[in-house]
Amino acid sequence: MFQQILALIVVAFFLLRLFGQKNKKQINGNEFLLWLIFWLLALGAVIFIKQIDKLVAWLGFSGTAINILVYLTVLALIYQVFRMRLTIAKMEKNISTLNQALTLKK
Amino acid sequence: MKITCVIPAYNEEKNIVKVINNVRPFVNEIIVIDDGSKDNTFEAARSTGAIAVRHIINRDQGAALRTGTQLALDRDADIIIHFDADDQFQATDIPEMIKPLLENKADAVLGSRFLTKKSNLPKVKEYVIMPLARFINLLFFNIRLSDPQSGFRALSRQSALDLKIENDGKAHCSEIIYKLFKNKNRVIEVPITVIYHHYGQKLSGGFQIIKDIIIQKLIN
Repeated sequence: MFQQILALIVVAFFLLRLFGQKNKKQINGNEFLLWLIFWLLALGAVIFIKQIDKLVAWLGFSGTAINILVYLTVLALIYQVFRMRLTIAKMEKNISTLNQALTLKK
Repeated sequence: MKITCVIPAYNEEKNIVKVINNVRPFVNEIIVIDDGSKDNTFEAARSTGAIAVRHIINRDQGAALRTGTQLALDRDADIIIHFDADDQFQATDIPEMIKPLLENKADAVLGSRFLTKKSNLPKVKEYVIMPLARFINLLFFNIRLSDPQSGFRALSRQSALDLKIENDGKAHCSEIIYKLFKNKNRVIEVPITVIYHHYGQKLSGGFQIIKDIIIQKLIN
């Protein structure tokens, strides 16, 4: 119960921060929506942790819901790092193209 | 036949003048690409009368070779030689490198450190890194070459036109070999001598090359 309350405080903090960023126009509408969905899902996962436990057991996993959530989060993070690496590689390629065009233009 | 030597250079102010002077008797034109050096490489190259251009930021050897090759093509080169600026390649090998192109026996010539001529290759490179690189070339590209990572090469105009170097980093070497074969060029190896003044690429660099090749595949 204590852990659930702690997790709810953390999620509430990030949700408040998200709305603050939106009001200050530090993030655009799409980004706001993406993070809102993410934190609402996190909120739902914390509130309905027992139901998720049952669902996980019903699906045949031996771990608890929190284990499964951690695994899924790690997978999501790895995927995000991979996507970021590709984005950076594309940007690097564009920088090199610009660099070459500038060099040959002189 | 216009023979152009492309020399990518990064922080090579100590070697570049000597390299240019060594190469000059064997070619019609020398293009130096200063890859955003922090020292006076660009000024030193320009002082020799060679064509010197400068990347405003450092983009690594593959990017410098791409710029240099494009400039050589724009300046109507018939044969393009890729040569390093660190004074490890021997300019006296150039006539043997371009001979098969002049005789129309090849479209691309790759220098090899593992044929008849001897190089003072570090042992780890000779017995660990190079066999591994040969194995990777064979495994991924089905290419058998005695030297899997030579930076000394001579290209006909057409093979240079067909060659689109996409890797900015050290992976350009494997990429060039792969594309030369993929473009159905007649590729031959010619013995060269390399005199090592420094160790150069380490085993970790090899893993970086594999990573770069995979990323390049994914973003294209």
